[in-house]
Amino acid sequence: MNADPTALKAVKQIDHAGIFFGLARVPGTGRVFVGCSDSKVYTVDMAAEKPEWTELAGHESYVTSAALAGSFAVTGAYDGKLIWWNSETLQPVRKVDAHAKWIRGVAASRDGRFLASVSDDMLCKIWNAQTGDLIHTLAGHQPVTPHHYPSMLFACSFSPDAKFLATADKVGHVVVWDVATGQQLAAIETPLMYTWDPKQRRHSIGGVRSLAFSADARLLAIGGTGQINNVDHLEALARIEVFDWQAGKRTIEHAGDKHKGLVERLEFSPAGDWLVSAGGDHEGFVKFLSLADGKVLHQEKAPMHIHDFELNEAGDALYAAGHGKLVRFEFKPPAPFVPESPALPDENA
Amino acid sequence: MASNFRGCCGSPDHGLNRRAFLGAAAATGGAFAANMTILNVLKNPLLADEIKRQEKRVILLWLAGGASQLETWDPKPGRPTGGPFRAIDTNVPGIRISELMPRLAQRQQHTAIIRSLNTKNADHGGGTELMETGRPREAGLTYPDLGAILARELGRADSPVPDYVSMYTSTEGRHKGGPGFLGARYAPMFLDKGLAPENIQRLDSISDLDHQQRGELRDLLSARFARARESNAIGSQNSAYGRVRGLMASEKLFDLSQEPDSVRAKYGPTQFAEQVIVARRLIEAGTPFVKVARAWWDSHGQNFETHLELVTELDHVMSTLLDDLAERGLLEKTLVITLGEFGRTPQINPSLGRDHFASAWSASLSGCGVKGGTVFGKTDDDGIKVAEGEVGAEALFATIFTALGIDHQKNYRLGSRPIPLTNPGTQPIHEVLA
Repeated sequence: MNADPTALKAVKQIDHAGIFFGLARVPGTGRVFVGCSDSKVYTVDMAAEKPEWTELAGHESYVTSAALAGSFAVTGAYDGKLIWWNSETLQPVRKVDAHAKWIRGVAASRDGRFLASVSDDMLCKIWNAQTGDLIHTLAGHQPVTPHHYPSMLFACSFSPDAKFLATADKVGHVVVWDVATGQQLAAIETPLMYTWDPKQRRHSIGGVRSLAFSADARLLAIGGTGQINNVDHLEALARIEVFDWQAGKRTIEHAGDKHKGLVERLEFSPAGDWLVSAGGDHEGFVKFLSLADGKVLHQEKAPMHIHDFELNEAGDALYAAGHGKLVRFEFKPPAPFVPESPALPDENA
Repeated sequence: MASNFRGCCGSPDHGLNRRAFLGAAAATGGAFAANMTILNVLKNPLLADEIKRQEKRVILLWLAGGASQLETWDPKPGRPTGGPFRAIDTNVPGIRISELMPRLAQRQQHTAIIRSLNTKNADHGGGTELMETGRPREAGLTYPDLGAILARELGRADSPVPDYVSMYTSTEGRHKGGPGFLGARYAPMFLDKGLAPENIQRLDSISDLDHQQRGELRDLLSARFARARESNAIGSQNSAYGRVRGLMASEKLFDLSQEPDSVRAKYGPTQFAEQVIVARRLIEAGTPFVKVARAWWDSHGQNFETHLELVTELDHVMSTLLDDLAERGLLEKTLVITLGEFGRTPQINPSLGRDHFASAWSASLSGCGVKGGTVFGKTDDDGIKVAEGEVGAEALFATIFTALGIDHQKNYRLGSRPIPLTNPGTQPIHEVLA
């Protein structure tokens, strides 16, 4: 049974001077690996009463992403490198010069066999997550926007069965790949997530920032932001579209209703009845959509702009990383009402 | 303050009038260079300086909205404020700039970087006015902007091309600037809709021959009219008419189809690139000052993505411009400036943006009169304060004037009031001057 989204509550907050961009949790625990703007990877047990940071050095720029693949934590950074860390000894196992430009995201398949990385070199690479061997290099995104500026490849995500991989870029182009063959299976366009201002400010903003497959891999959720009037700011409402990607049909279009900014992360609930998203602009948010009708089940302001999160296996806790903070949320139903004093005696008794 | 044209007693009244001289010289047309009498005149150092100055040109790349110094000229890699971009070596040992500018890094010998601007005004309107005029606003006085001053100082009275062209096609933060107390003669030709000015084309209903003959007839009648009268207004009218005809004749300067495809390909396909080609065409034809505003850099959100777009473009276009000017022998006569109204905060906000910041930011000067491959000033480790060599707008303007051979302490007169180009006590940044 799924947790009740309306019962979401931040129960622990850990502050830090840096900006956390990527988070990966060790299954069955509260221990997370997070990538930080200070070029470090940190690990911390968010379930501990007094969490202590352990610092892992090896990257040379913002660490933008983290994924758990079996016994490895793998991190990717703007230095173009992937580093495999032993998640128990915390020692670096392997460092790979993976991309020519910034690595924007990494994802691991749920079975721990595959790792994917996406970069501003506009390539997605699929790796053997255990050996570090390169399996496929996927080129399906244009390096330059239609307006002649460098594009960016922001997001990637495996289907739970590891058969499919989705990638998404700045102009809203999404590709679904066959993991086994490296062939492109489908392409989806989400043009409203990319804003080019041709008149007032003459630059762009936006892009698809998050992807998630449903448990049966039929649905692909895509997150970003809507069309922005003033591209100086992330002032548009956070936007989510869900596609039955094999049918090429959009099943949900959530243009936003309250919170502004980017949808940085998406995840389907274990039972498949809702979709949780998080992100933000100057502020942060967590939002739940019903998959039955696309309606908002619950949404609330987060303590910070959230860049990444993970639901735990039971779907009753959410670990989030963002601007200067890590936050552990729990789905805590309100305590049953207990009157302070005995009920008055029934006068008719 | 003294101008270059005082006579031996020091009075400007006895000086050779610069405009009169140049107007007369130019009137000799192609014979000018070969005329030994005039060449002898050039032995007079004051006149030689004047002629030399006349050839000087300026292209101002106005980074409207405020570009980040940390993602351009003053990177702070590895610092909490530094952002994700690395610093790279340039071809001048010891100078490192943002990795977003790899092409400019290989042309650093042309460029002086000023890293220590503290202009104190982080408001778009106020900052723009300050950095356009080089001085704070003064009640009751409208100062001319840099373009108007340079149009006056470097322009030729008889020039067939405009001497101040300003391009600003984006609508955000658009500011026309202007001549202030110098008057409309030095107002910019302001291009806010496209690459070319509107309404300067000859009407289709008039042939070239008709157009020419009408002009000659007008000249004849005008001269006959003027002979019988003494009036400044007549001269002004003729001057204005002559300029309009000149502007009509300069139509092709704005026509990019006149430029070889190979050159256009080098600059690239963006609007900014095309505007810079037009700027180069204009200064090549004699326009002394062209401003190309690239708006809008005001990256309160997603600063790094915005700068990845805009600095990449700036690097490509500006480096191509420097090459182009150098190949045409124009770089030593042309000062290329990058400047905006302010820089951006070292602090990175939750939208991954940087906000307005005027306390410690950068500008660059390349080409004419500049000691390339130099850096002046220093900010602290996090780029929050100027650590060495703090300068403001006036010192920057004094430096620009000096690089162009203009006495920055020269006075204009507004009625009986002397108004110096820069206030007394202002010093140019000698360290970046050739």
